[in-house]
Amino acid sequence: MFNILISSVGGQGGLTLSRIMAVAAVRQGLSARTGETLGMAQRFGSVLSFVRVGEDVQSPIFGPGEADYIIGLELFETVRATRYLRDTGVVFAADEYKPPVSASLSPKPAWGRENVLRSLRETLGEKLLVVPARDLALRAGSARAINVVMLGVFNAHARLFADDVVYEAIKSVLPGRAGEVSVKAYELGKAFYAERAKSA
Amino acid sequence: MGNEAIARGAWEAGVRVVTGYPGTPSSEVIMTFHEEGRGLPIYVEWAVNERVAFEIAYGAAIGGVRALVTMKAPGLNVASDPVLSAAYSGVEGGLVILVADDPGPHTTQTEQDSRWYAKLSKLPMFTASTPQEAKDTVKRLFRVSEELKLPVIFRTTTRLNHAVGDVVLGEVEERDARPSFKKDPPRFVRAGMKWNLERHAWLNGVLRRVEEVASSLGFNKVEGSGEYCVVTEGVAYNYVYEALRGLGEARVKVLRVDQLYPVPSKFLAENLSSCRRVIVVEELDPYLEAEVKKLAYEERLGAEVMGKEEGLLPLEGELNPSLVKGALYRWLGVPQGQESTPAADVRLPERPPPLCPGCPHAFSYIALKLGIARAGYKLSEVPVFGDIGCYALSVNRPIEAIWTEHSMGASISMAMGLKVAGYDKPVVATIGDSTFFHAGIPSLIEAVHKRVDMLVLILDNRVVAMTGHQSTPSWEVTESGRQARGIDIVEVVKSIGVDEVAVVDPYDFNKMVETVASMIKRPGVKVLVAQHPCRLMEVRQLKTVKKYRVIEDKCTGCRACVNVTGCPALYIEDGKAKIVEDDCTGCGLCARFCPYKAIVEVGGA
Repeated sequence: MFNILISSVGGQGGLTLSRIMAVAAVRQGLSARTGETLGMAQRFGSVLSFVRVGEDVQSPIFGPGEADYIIGLELFETVRATRYLRDTGVVFAADEYKPPVSASLSPKPAWGRENVLRSLRETLGEKLLVVPARDLALRAGSARAINVVMLGVFNAHARLFADDVVYEAIKSVLPGRAGEVSVKAYELGKAFYAERAKSA
Repeated sequence: MGNEAIARGAWEAGVRVVTGYPGTPSSEVIMTFHEEGRGLPIYVEWAVNERVAFEIAYGAAIGGVRALVTMKAPGLNVASDPVLSAAYSGVEGGLVILVADDPGPHTTQTEQDSRWYAKLSKLPMFTASTPQEAKDTVKRLFRVSEELKLPVIFRTTTRLNHAVGDVVLGEVEERDARPSFKKDPPRFVRAGMKWNLERHAWLNGVLRRVEEVASSLGFNKVEGSGEYCVVTEGVAYNYVYEALRGLGEARVKVLRVDQLYPVPSKFLAENLSSCRRVIVVEELDPYLEAEVKKLAYEERLGAEVMGKEEGLLPLEGELNPSLVKGALYRWLGVPQGQESTPAADVRLPERPPPLCPGCPHAFSYIALKLGIARAGYKLSEVPVFGDIGCYALSVNRPIEAIWTEHSMGASISMAMGLKVAGYDKPVVATIGDSTFFHAGIPSLIEAVHKRVDMLVLILDNRVVAMTGHQSTPSWEVTESGRQARGIDIVEVVKSIGVDEVAVVDPYDFNKMVETVASMIKRPGVKVLVAQHPCRLMEVRQLKTVKKYRVIEDKCTGCRACVNVTGCPALYIEDGKAKIVEDDCTGCGLCARFCPYKAIVEVGGA
């Protein structure tokens, strides 16, 4: 059983990503549960999506220190989610930077992109992979596909789902052009991981 | 998703009327019908409020048709009056009342435990643990309802409604769905006190049959064996299941109660008779715990029953697997084992949901504050009453507009209360369009009738935005494609006889400031309707959206843009304002407040 946490800012497609993973899991013959906080004006608020995939999954959520993988779609939210990581866990972080309003209102500019990245690197060391997800998504055709770029990176590492299962899942959740762009984005995410592995 | 599964279950059961009022975490049931159910012979529409929704479903059910009504927990408070009477009159066709509680709470004003409503209303109540069971349960509840001739409450919590999981679909039942209604005053006329007494006796008799009917349909289950027994229900069962699986020992018996009211006392007494120690694991109030303790006394079970009252689990907030595991292991006297150490928790700035970029409510509240000031009042002396909706997010920095947010429609009557008590400065009530239709109209009638001096600001964005853009009574075509008669909110306000009505587009910012400043000083009930569609909805319909950009050389980093608007598309980095282009909706509010004219339009994209 794998516990995966998707950490994002409302509107980034964190929920869509968890849905794609759940559909892929079911098509792969595994059972899946996801739990999340949605509704209300969660746009631009912190959103956590819990995804659990395995043989016999019952609970839709898990506790701090229990995530095998964290997929962060935004740097602040990735830092916020690290308390969920297991000792042995891995974090995939998109290099998106969207400071919350509360940070901009504070007179002291204590945070900046570099500081957030440094904090992540210091906390996680080898467990962290930062992904130029925006560039890859734009290459695929839309900045909205950052979520699926991250799925490509994640799955290249975890090898949880067969590729054709992921394509089907993407297309069932995102019909039409969004689905086509997302399949490309998924491939670019995978390729990025493969390049990294080669150069490492 | 649990809510999609519930919709599917109702469809499989041959439901013909589905109504409700949007409310997280219940909304997706009706949204699923709207998305997937086009062309089905089912009436699926949002109603103006939960009370009306229930009465529509009830009217269908007394005609022998299966009906479903959905709401969040506070919605049951609104619907409670007809719900309580419905227990005396009962139904012919199955009627399922879905009420979604929100432990946490994630998106609700209280952590209401609606299980108490079952005892209060004397209506059978059931629950489920997984999306699959949610589908199967709703299907079986229509049969329970018809067997007992009573409405049945299906009580869920957020982690079931919003849990996604694999669900195996079933057949759709073919049913004769022509309604018929036989005149039967003793049953349906609650004006007869003798009849009411008789129906109460009938109701008490029916309640004695619930367990038999429920067990014949497979509700309530036992797993494992031993002298250590866990009584649990709903979502909490999932956490118990996983905690005990981790233990790898079969010395614990688990009783899962699906029938929450009346509690299945035979099932519990039989299965608890061999238990030495019992723990009750449930979310929110110790409801089952009290029932089990009472039963233990009555049946002389001799088992020690523990739960929240003994402090094993918290009385507030939602449960999670770690909490339940910790409680069970402590209770069993088993060491917790090697816990994984979470990575360091860094102090980060919070990110509560803000008003969206371009939100017309942001314009309205900022204009309201400027208008109050322009009229010569201090902001600290003019209370701004808020109401339920996205616009309540105006409480956050930097707008910090509303002083209260209480319950649907309460802004107008609470403002009136302060005024009639003798408050000598102006009072302002602010209320959204859907909330006004839902519960604001009677409050406005009251304020007008008693000639109260107050300003009512109706924030009309033409949609129920907070819960995911559902229709309001102003729509000409509903989500199901039904041709509707749009209700004009301004005409409604006029017809109540208010002293003054004005309509303004909050994007016409200066005009709105002036209008507020002049209206607030005059006597009587003044209503200002601020009309502009929800920007998220509007942007989807616009072909091109303007964007704004910061001219770096001109920006001094004074932060006026962020400090006034709090727009989440803006941030400050290296002493300069920046705009997240993806998120900018081109409203221009920030540019208006830049003293250095450093924020400029960059055309359509």
